[in-house]
Amino acid sequence: MNRTVLIVGFIMTAALVGVLYFALGKDPQAIDSPLVGHAAPDFTLKAVGTGQSLNLAQYRGKPVVLNFWATWCRPCWEEHPVLTETSQAMGDRVQFVGVVFQDDERKITDFLQQRGWAYPTLVDDRGKTAIAYGVGGVPETFFLNKNGTIVAKYTGPMSGDILQEYIQKAMR
Amino acid sequence: MRKLIPILLFALAIAMAASAQLKAPDAEQFVGPPEGLPVTGDQLDQREHEIASMLRCPVCQGLSIADSPAEMAINMKGQVRELLSRGYTQEQILSYFEHSYGQFVLLKPKFRGVNSLVWTLPILALIAGALLVIVKLNKLQDDVAPPAAKDEDEYIARVRDLVNK
Repeated sequence: MNRTVLIVGFIMTAALVGVLYFALGKDPQAIDSPLVGHAAPDFTLKAVGTGQSLNLAQYRGKPVVLNFWATWCRPCWEEHPVLTETSQAMGDRVQFVGVVFQDDERKITDFLQQRGWAYPTLVDDRGKTAIAYGVGGVPETFFLNKNGTIVAKYTGPMSGDILQEYIQKAMR
Repeated sequence: MRKLIPILLFALAIAMAASAQLKAPDAEQFVGPPEGLPVTGDQLDQREHEIASMLRCPVCQGLSIADSPAEMAINMKGQVRELLSRGYTQEQILSYFEHSYGQFVLLKPKFRGVNSLVWTLPILALIAGALLVIVKLNKLQDDVAPPAAKDEDEYIARVRDLVNK
């Protein structure tokens, strides 16, 4: 009987430790996106600066880096130079698109004028686009392949290496 | 002033045309057209609160979007309200948010996949516990019964047999 109790106890403890290991080892903000592997939700939003409307589908045929960010988000400040430099380096091979989340257009313009403006930045009115993409916080970046399918999502600010690694996934 | 009016009207027309072209992703892309009737008035407030209470605020710690003051939660609640007023059902609205955020966004997990363990494991544990108690009790009863001693006196053994009969 003692042996049975020991085995049952061991199994229950192992199960509990397993659950805690997987649950506590995960960042609750880094939600796996159910959109990965599916077509990116299409949208037409207003571009900061020009005021022109820009449709995501117009970039079909090349990989897209879709970055959700905001001027009030400090990690986005760190990430901004990485995105602008990589965008300039990649040229026409990859399209970068910024979607600004819960922000004021004037602040966005000031931010971009001061820190560099390398690709279209769009305004997400009432966060509807962010909600459709399941954005939980900023920065969050989606990588679309040339067919408009989401191949990966990255939560948090990216370094140059991480950005390159994810771009390669989108280019495959 | 009169000269300015046509210019202002023209600018307004351009602005309206530009905003009319703008289109955020719509729920219809994911869950199809509305399957219910549009909700209005007081019922709209009540239904909005009910559904918002079922959705987790993605930027908060364990709060529903009904309880959170975060801008993200306010936007999500606004979207719940809009979808209800367009005739989307509760199931469609929850599916729409689940499509974007996954099951994480549902405060009450669905009876599906690994989540079903949340519902079944406590019941299985109760059954296993009850079985263990029954087995243990049976064993205790067996242990209480007097063992037949090997070196018991023959006379006493016969008396015991007679008494037991």
